[in-house]
Amino acid sequence: MRGFGRHLAEKLAAAVVSFFVTLVIGFVIFSLMPADPVRTLTRGRPTSEAQLAQLRLQLGLDDPLWQRFLSFVGDTLRGELGYSWQFQQQVSTLVAERLGPTLLLMGTSAAISVALGLWLGMRSGWKQGSVFDRITSGASLTLWSVPTFWLGMILLVAFSIPGLLPAGGMSDPSLPGTDPLDVARHLVLPCLTMVLVIFAQYVTVMRSSIIDERGAAYLLTARAKGLADADVRRRHAAPNALLPSVTMIFMHLGTLVSGAITVEAVYSWPGLGYLTYQALKIPDLPLLQGTFIIFSASVIIMNLLADLAYRFLDPRVRAQ
Amino acid sequence: MWIGKALLAGALLTTAAAPTTPAQDTTLRVKMSGSGVDTLNPFLAFFNGALDIFGTIYPSLNSLDENGKPGPYLATEWTQGPDQLTWTFKLRDGLKWSDGQPITAEDAAWTLNLIRTDTVAGTANGSLVGNFENVAAPDPTTLVIKTKKPQANVMYVSIPISGIPIVPKHVWEPHVKGLKDYRNDAFPVVGYGPWTLTDYRPEQYAKFDANKSFVLGAPAFDHLVQQSFKESDAAVAALRSGQLDYINGINPTQFTALKGDASLLAVQEVGNGWTGIELNPGAKTRSGKPIGTGHPALREQVVRDAIALAIDKPTLVTKVINGLGRLGHGYLPPAWPQWSWKPTPEEEHTFDPAKANQLLDAAGYAKGADGVRVDPKSGKPLAFRLGTHSDDSADAAISTYLVGWLQAIGVKLTIQPLSMSALNSDLAKGDWDILMDGWTTGPDPTYLLGIQTCATLPKDDGTGGNTEAYYCDKDYDALFERQLTTADPAERAKIVADMQRKLYRANVDQILYYANTLDVARTDTVKGIVTGTPDAEGLHPAQTAFWSYLKAAPPAATKASGSGGGGGSAVWLGLGALVIAAVGGTLVVRRRKTAGDRE
Amino acid sequence: MRSLLWGAGVLAAFALLALTAPLYIGDADLNVVKVTGPQLSPPVAGYPLGTDQAGRSVLLLVIWGARESLAIGLIATALTVVLGSAVGLLAGHYQGALGKALMHVTDWFIALPSLPLAISLSAVLGQGAASITVAIAVTSWTATARLVRAQTLAVEARPFIERARVLGAGNTQVMLRHVLPNVLPLILVSSTLTVASAILSEATLTFLGLGDPTSVTWGSMLQAAFSGGAVTAGAWWYLLPPGVAILIVVLGFTLTGRAVEHLLDPRRAAHA
Repeated sequence: MRGFGRHLAEKLAAAVVSFFVTLVIGFVIFSLMPADPVRTLTRGRPTSEAQLAQLRLQLGLDDPLWQRFLSFVGDTLRGELGYSWQFQQQVSTLVAERLGPTLLLMGTSAAISVALGLWLGMRSGWKQGSVFDRITSGASLTLWSVPTFWLGMILLVAFSIPGLLPAGGMSDPSLPGTDPLDVARHLVLPCLTMVLVIFAQYVTVMRSSIIDERGAAYLLTARAKGLADADVRRRHAAPNALLPSVTMIFMHLGTLVSGAITVEAVYSWPGLGYLTYQALKIPDLPLLQGTFIIFSASVIIMNLLADLAYRFLDPRVRAQ
Repeated sequence: MWIGKALLAGALLTTAAAPTTPAQDTTLRVKMSGSGVDTLNPFLAFFNGALDIFGTIYPSLNSLDENGKPGPYLATEWTQGPDQLTWTFKLRDGLKWSDGQPITAEDAAWTLNLIRTDTVAGTANGSLVGNFENVAAPDPTTLVIKTKKPQANVMYVSIPISGIPIVPKHVWEPHVKGLKDYRNDAFPVVGYGPWTLTDYRPEQYAKFDANKSFVLGAPAFDHLVQQSFKESDAAVAALRSGQLDYINGINPTQFTALKGDASLLAVQEVGNGWTGIELNPGAKTRSGKPIGTGHPALREQVVRDAIALAIDKPTLVTKVINGLGRLGHGYLPPAWPQWSWKPTPEEEHTFDPAKANQLLDAAGYAKGADGVRVDPKSGKPLAFRLGTHSDDSADAAISTYLVGWLQAIGVKLTIQPLSMSALNSDLAKGDWDILMDGWTTGPDPTYLLGIQTCATLPKDDGTGGNTEAYYCDKDYDALFERQLTTADPAERAKIVADMQRKLYRANVDQILYYANTLDVARTDTVKGIVTGTPDAEGLHPAQTAFWSYLKAAPPAATKASGSGGGGGSAVWLGLGALVIAAVGGTLVVRRRKTAGDRE
Repeated sequence: MRSLLWGAGVLAAFALLALTAPLYIGDADLNVVKVTGPQLSPPVAGYPLGTDQAGRSVLLLVIWGARESLAIGLIATALTVVLGSAVGLLAGHYQGALGKALMHVTDWFIALPSLPLAISLSAVLGQGAASITVAIAVTSWTATARLVRAQTLAVEARPFIERARVLGAGNTQVMLRHVLPNVLPLILVSSTLTVASAILSEATLTFLGLGDPTSVTWGSMLQAAFSGGAVTAGAWWYLLPPGVAILIVVLGFTLTGRAVEHLLDPRRAAHA
């Protein structure tokens, strides 16, 4: 396992470098944005010249760019994310508040679409060309081609049923406390929207790897041993076919967190994606950088996990 | 992923239970202001969602009656002393904060002085007390405000929502040091008002309990919930399906669709803001140094006048806001009739492209080969940039009309959709020709009038500017100073009218229309939420979160939330599902056919 | 290959509609000042798909919208493919420091969250079609680069490259004359899929308010419909056509891409 340790160290180092580079790229892009946050924030409120100057000072707008960059790097290293311009709070607090809802929505949608996609992909790949295969492939391709926000809006109006499926939010505020069942009801439509759009990718990957495996010699052996078709599929073909899917699933999970902006907007879901969108409107640079860090980190960590999972699962790689 | 699994398991184990609240308690459910809440700290917050909350959970010295005139709240009477500088407010005795401590003049004095002296505390409302010399509380029911210069609008300084909320000194004093980071989220929040804030989740909801002993009348509902919706159509869907009782602020298309629904009450309020365009009259700094890249031709009065004559405002009202608004004239909106001004028929610029063409011809702006006029002085064609707010659908609609109308007088417009900050940044640098613009205002016009004064031009280093459109006129400034110190409301209104006439003639800001604010309420779950009596056109006076939620009551026989509406939309959206299914189906059939060639 | 025919047929039909649109759609149909139709009306005579809020025919808007939506999709894809192929080819060919560096850069860009990045890029570059195009290209070239690099590695391992080198072919010649022609089919296939996602990205970015609301694209139509309350008004004739158009075109590109892939390499096709 020494080889594995070294491999891990290398990958970790690369991930750290990659993380810092994305931070720099993010900072540069955000600093180029036309920003007059003070006028935008105070729009419509009586504000004096002294007040504007004080606000600029408080938000650190008058600091030169290099100083802002240094304090940004310093903050990040200390695990702080700066002070949001529009919410006038610590970015870490804002992010923490919204991380839970995002993880809940993303986690549930990912779990369902992975399970559904892999199962459908396995079944349809095994019986390539069957009615089941044609329906699955056709449906998943069609749904993949639909703009997410459009599908979301249509589902919202068609299925927001009084007392059963609410039109938005994460919980019913007229209930005392938080009821898991109530949250589950609110989760149904946004989750369904996400699942319908993303499950196709898992179907495709799983289907093609099953088709690859189907012709493999060892399956012939298994069949010759007298195993039933379903058993061959379940015990032999599926585990091997899963391998290429795992990498793809992990890499996809990383991008999911930021991919839900439109779903969060349509269903008023209080998550990180929508927070980013709000930050862009001002633009609230510290908040943008904060969410950017979270998004980049999740992609990088997931890519790292994908690599490790691959090595762990694939006996050929593991043996090296 | 484990969260999802746990939830799924939970859903399987438990049978669906209908949401239950204790039968005797009633809850008013409304949509939160679209801007949301930036922070619950009233010294820092700018967003309307936050101001709506403060207006209902913190007291103020004055209230506003339904026509926007100052009325009693904590104060029962207020008088200006003979020196014109001393205002004395008599405060009620015996009111208590929600934690049982008495509300005294000391709380008010402390709050106002803190905003006056502490720069962080003055973040949001500093300018409102900028002219205050000192605030004192000689006894628990007397508040004395000394101003530096005479000030006519002191009774507008602490009003619900748009003014300063008074906070309990005993709660806030320990937080002054770390005020910048204080989130004010210890629930229930200690305050006083028609409601007490009991819970708040960012981007989700704010929950309130009624204060049944509120001095201006007890709310009829027991609880209030403000729920956040990002898409207004989602909020309407929630209203139709009985998850919401009231939405303040829907768009004209929604209003038109909902007004025929018998289970809903759709009302119009007189607009408290205007939509217009601003023309760059030659951006310059306070010392007169020209800045930016504004087109020189717009500095000419005749060009601005011609543009005003070329715009067909009535068409904008009918086409862009479905007729749900009034034609734009004066700078202050009609919601506050005491300040409203209209030009005489002789003064009015009515739609007359022929006259506009004549004006430009006479002034020597000859048409070039491409039909665009050329400025004889600079030799530049009359081609202007028109900056619009990219997130505003009315801006997009208006700008396309403007392009067509100005083309007819030989003026070319290029539309530039800009984000709010990009637009503000261009404005501050003077890098603009024409911008779409809009303002709303509370009943005190001081601030809106103030941003047209020369004092709000930027300094030579580019900072400190707060000007609306680089208008600067010494006579206007003199009038502004005079109305500030004129205590007699009628006299002040006359000066304000003169100021609006000057602005109207300058044609730097051209007011296109005042859109009515449109609201909708369910009739089976709430009544009385729309306050005031409608005028001859059926328009209600401006509604505020303060009065609407206070006066709303459950209907006599409360039944379970109804299920009206929605059915029709389900049918047509079924169509959408059908189309997707059809495309998918075709694909399946097609794939079946190809399966043959593949083998 | 009916799959190809089907996909390509749909695309050809849309391309034809888009290209010939100026022949039968004029300023009088699109300019809000000149149109005379009823406002937000369901389908009636003369307006087979009803009208929008300004009284323009939704059918004509959808046809006209194809022009800019397709243009944005195609140009963004061209940029993506050029950038991605160049990086992939170089990284695959020069396997030393340059190749490593290029792959690192690619990895960094993969780690950048694409939607937030695209949103901020269009904010930096100013709003409208151009910045949306660039934003899409910047966030999607990495996939092409990886694909092309892998394929380049595979091609360069083949004996004929060795032969070419022995015959004195330089780096540039090997890359352009020998590797590129072998990689090109794959690039073409992947680019049809890129067009599909570019059109979806255009709709999403415009929906989020980063496009030019006065131009006519499918994304801006949906944005205008949603922000203008068309859902509440039950204006299905306004909401469904742009979405369905996106669906059909995206599907058309996807099917074409998969079918071409199948033609080129039947074994690989199973993967798709």
